[in-house]
Order: sequence, then structure tokens, then C-alpha cells
Amino acid sequence: MAEEKSREAGQGGGGKKVAADTVDPHSEEHHMIPVWFFVGLLLLIYGILILIQGISEWSHPPGTELSHLHPTVWWSFALIILGGIFSVKHFPKKKS
Amino acid sequence: MISSPFGPMAFLLDEGGVRGIISLHLVDLAIIVIYFVAVLGIGFYLKRYAKTGEDFFVAGRKMTAWVAGLAFISANLGSLELMGWAGNAYQYGILAAHWYWIGAIPAMLFLAVIMMPFYYICRTHSVPGYLSLRYGHATSGLSAITFAFMTILMSGVNMYAMAVVMQVILGWNLHFSIWVSSLTVGVYVALGGLYSAIFNEVVQFFLIWLGALLIPILGLVETHGWAGMVARIQHNFPGQDFTHMWGPMLHPSQNPMGVQWVAIVFGLGAVLSMGYWTTDFLVVQRVLSAKDLRSAKMAPVIGAFFKMAVPFIVILPGLLGLAVLPFHLFPVNAAAPGQHTYDQVLPLMLARYCGPGLLGLGITALIAGFMSGMAGNISAFATVWTYDLYRPFIKKHASDSHYVAMGRWCTMIGLIISIGAAYIVTHFGSLMDYVQALFSFFIAPLFGTVLIGMLWKRATKAAGFWGLLAGITTAITTFALMHGHPERVAWFCFYAGAKPLAQQMWQALWAFVAVVGVTFVVTMATRPRPAAELRGLVMGETEIPSEGHLPLLRRPIFWAALCFAVFLVLQYIFR
Repeated sequence: MAEEKSREAGQGGGGKKVAADTVDPHSEEHHMIPVWFFVGLLLLIYGILILIQGISEWSHPPGTELSHLHPTVWWSFALIILGGIFSVKHFPKKKS
Repeated sequence: MISSPFGPMAFLLDEGGVRGIISLHLVDLAIIVIYFVAVLGIGFYLKRYAKTGEDFFVAGRKMTAWVAGLAFISANLGSLELMGWAGNAYQYGILAAHWYWIGAIPAMLFLAVIMMPFYYICRTHSVPGYLSLRYGHATSGLSAITFAFMTILMSGVNMYAMAVVMQVILGWNLHFSIWVSSLTVGVYVALGGLYSAIFNEVVQFFLIWLGALLIPILGLVETHGWAGMVARIQHNFPGQDFTHMWGPMLHPSQNPMGVQWVAIVFGLGAVLSMGYWTTDFLVVQRVLSAKDLRSAKMAPVIGAFFKMAVPFIVILPGLLGLAVLPFHLFPVNAAAPGQHTYDQVLPLMLARYCGPGLLGLGITALIAGFMSGMAGNISAFATVWTYDLYRPFIKKHASDSHYVAMGRWCTMIGLIISIGAAYIVTHFGSLMDYVQALFSFFIAPLFGTVLIGMLWKRATKAAGFWGLLAGITTAITTFALMHGHPERVAWFCFYAGAKPLAQQMWQALWAFVAVVGVTFVVTMATRPRPAAELRGLVMGETEIPSEGHLPLLRRPIFWAALCFAVFLVLQYIFR
């Protein structure tokens, strides 16, 4: 059984990875876009959308509690900063 | 209530034009649509990487500790759980936080420090896979069948429950919610396997936090901090203690759950939560994808730190609801038309503080929570079916690509069965309670069997099987005897007024005792396996790599100890 065989490989925790046998070292495998980039991009897009909404309602805040504090605008800043950091730091690099 | 017409999006509404608690603006709908596009895009992008069985079912075992840890916690952050526990916090107060702290943290750290080395070193693909290596196919088959059946059924039940929530909160059509969300999950999991599930779970983790975090922040601003919130709760509900965790636990009559500390510590902390966090393959699968043993041990520790913080976005909104909502909430069966139920406290608080844009983010958080839970169920089902049922019992020697194809197909087939289950529950609503109870039958016994298998090398194959069966039987019998017969509750819970949550804890405790007892007796009556066969599976026969050469800050044990210390401090603060 494959699982029995791979058990030996895993002994000690630093064993040879099964997938390594089947993956070409020059394939795209080594250039997978990090998940953090996807996270950053989505937060950045959301931040911009929410910022536009917040600015458009600045003089006429919605009827929610504490809307005079403009949480929409402040939260959009948080999203843009977080999303920006993630996107820039983990921007996909060109294949070498 | 925020009012704004749906306009061109009116097709989302229920047939009768029912409007929910919240109405969405175009910007909110844009946020939701972008989310669906993003998760599908990630699935299509990752399809090229999910080529082998190792890729599809365990994400190539290439995930870092952070990615595996966030996916581990995200698979558990279902939106039904978020809303349900916020509702429980409104009903029971901060007692509900026991399910996030003692009901999670010790178990997650136990998984990291004690159990993970055995799971990881034996290179199993799944928890039933470990049982197969340790006890043989009979025990593994029993565990795999019950897990696959229950996972798919639970997925359907959650699907239905979520569609109902969307109908109540947003007025969305039931069929629309079920089909769109489940097919989206099915497509991205079938395309990218566990890679896709994990990537999306990490994205969902951030959305859940950033979508829900504003509620406690703005709530505490409105109440002028924790002390102001407590004062308002005492004013609104005089004579009731909603903000202490251990004080009212000395006797079950002192708290609204009817539970005492023994059941919380031993039933919830030592058995039920251990069973869920260490043997429920839905969560364990995420950790098995880690790139090495250190990452596999760090992942649950990272998850534990975030789990400790979850009450901030779940329990605190429930407590804030007690403080600031101008009306009272009621149980589902006691709410009159126009009144709101406990479970609606989270969306109500969302509508209280969040205007257009933020509202879309909050609703996306709920949808993301739902989809991360469903992706967890579906990907775990695909793995257990393919590797623990199809391969050992139906087609033993097929090619790797055949098993990957089987994984993709059974992802979609599992999804269709789940949708079928959702529609069955639509017509037989009471089934829901039974299905949830069924799931609890298997968790505690499975924990007993896996734990004994890892720690006691004398335990035999026959003992594993009969012990597991005895535990499941005990859980079912205990449930059947107590259900509908309140006079029998005291037999098992030592208190006639024990509520269902307390009954569940005692049921788990008795099932665990049965597993230990039967496994011990059968082991003593049967011949042990040769030590050589147990290498890499059992304590005493497994060489666990030392971490002594690592700097202190890179050692999982250091972070686990720190996490446990923070957990103890929290218990003291909120005692």
C-alpha cells in the first residue's frame, strides 16, 4: 500500500516528499503565486470600493449608530493599508 | 433597518418578495459578486498545480505553518457557528466563551505537541488512514464510513440552515442561496483540491475578521468600554450574571445552562473538544498539508492564538447586544411575529453599525464563513472516500491519476448528495436536530480510539475496533435514553435540569469511558502486534525528532506554552 511506503519516507519528519518525485523542478510549481497576494489584492479592491462609498456619503452619513464617526472611511483605510502591504510584499515575481 | 431598493437585483428576493432584516446597496452587492469571482478565479488558477494525489488531497504537503494554521482555524469558522455562538452569548452570557477557550485551546495544543508527530511521521492522508495503519481496515472502515456519511449529511444540513439565514436576514430566495454557494464551492474544490480549499480558507479568514471586527469596536465605543457595557447589561437585565465564566459554575442551578464545572472541564475540555480538534478530519486535514513536522506542530498553535481571539468577534457582539439593543431577543420557538431570535443578534448588530459598503463586507464575511465550512466538509469527504473507502475496499491498485479523477468526481457527487440532504431537511425540519446529534455520537469514541492507539503500544487491532464500536453504541444509547425523557437525564448528568449542551458533554464523557474500558479488556484478551509493525505509529516505537537545536522562538513547544499561559490568564480575568 502506498501509505505504508510513504510512512518510511516520513520517519523523522524531514523525509523525502512524495510529491517531489512527480514534480518537475523547473515547472510552474516553484512559481505559484502566494496566497497572501490574493488576500492583499482582494482587500485592496474592497478598500477602494468602500472608500469611494465613504467619501460619497461624507456629508450625508447613513442612519446607523455612530455614523458621524465615519467608520466606513476609516475602515477603508485599514483595508487599503493591509491590502497594499500584502500585495506589494508578495507581488508575483518573474520566473528566473 | 437600512432601506434601499434592490432594483435590478430583485431576482434575489424570495418568491413572495420577502425582505429581510437588512437591505443591500449596489456597492454591497458588488463586494459580494467580487468575492465569488475571486474564489472561483483562485480555483481555476490552482487547477494546474493539483496534478497528483498528494497535490489534490494534501496540497502537496507544501503549506507553511501560517497557511496551514489559518486554514485550520478557518475551516472551523462557519457562519452558522459565528451566528449561533453570538446568539448563545446573548442567551447565556460569557459562559458561551467556554467553547472557544477551554473547549478548544487545550485540545489544539494537545494536537500540536502530542498527537501531530504521530499523524505526520506516519505520512497518513487522513485520520481513518492512521487507524488503518494502527488497527487495520476494520476499524478504519468503520470510522471512514461514519465520517463520510456524517460529513456529507452535515454539509447538507448546514447548507439548508445557511439558506434559511440568508432568507431571514436578506430576504434571499432559498434555492438561489443553496445552489449558487454550493456550486461555487464544488467548482473550486473540484478544480484545485485541497490547494484551492486552503487558499480560499486563508482569504476567507481575513474576510471574516475584517467583516466582523467593526461590530465589537464600535459597540465598545458606544458603551464607553467594557465597564460601560457591563453596567448597561446589569441595567437591562437586573439580577442576572452574564459576564463571569467560572463563578456560576459551582452548581448547575446557578447558571442558565444547567451545567457545572466538572462537565465543562472533563466533558467539554477533556473529551468533546479533544475529539473534535484532534480527530475530526475536517480540521486535521489542513495540518497534514504542512511542509514539515515543525510547521505541522506550529499550525495548530497559530490556530490556537487566533481561536482565543474569536470571542472578540462572536461572544462580545452577543454581550453588546444585551447592552445596546432597544428590544429583547427570544428563542426560535418563543418569538412572536415581528420579534427577533437569539441567533439574529450578529446580523442585527451588523445592521446597527454598518452602512453601505461595510454591510457588504459583513455579509461577505458570513458567506465566506459558510463557504469555508462547506469546502472543509467536501474536501475531507473526497479524501476519506477516495483513500479510505474506494482504494482499500473497491479498487486497490489503480494509478495515481485514477484516484485524483475519483477525488474530483466525488467532490461534485458529494456536493449533489449534500444538496439532496438540504432539500430533505427542507421538508423534514426536525431531522436537523437528529443529524447534529448523530455527529456527536462519533467524535468522542474516535478520540478515545486514536489516543489509545498513539499512546499505548499494547492495544490490539481487535481492541481498536470493539472499543470504537462500544463507544459509538454507548453514545447512541445515552442519547436515546435521555431524549424525550427528562426524568432520565439525572441518571447520566447527575442533575435533572441539565440542558442539551450539558447532556452532550456527559454523553461524550460516558462514550469515552466505554472506549477506554472495552479497549483495555479486549487488549488483555488478545495478542499484541509485533513492535516492528508499530514503528512511526505509537509512542515508544517512534523516533520523534528533537527540537533542541532550534532557537527558542522557533520551537513549537515554546509557543504552545505561551499560548497556554495566555489561556490561563483569560480564565482568571473573566472568572
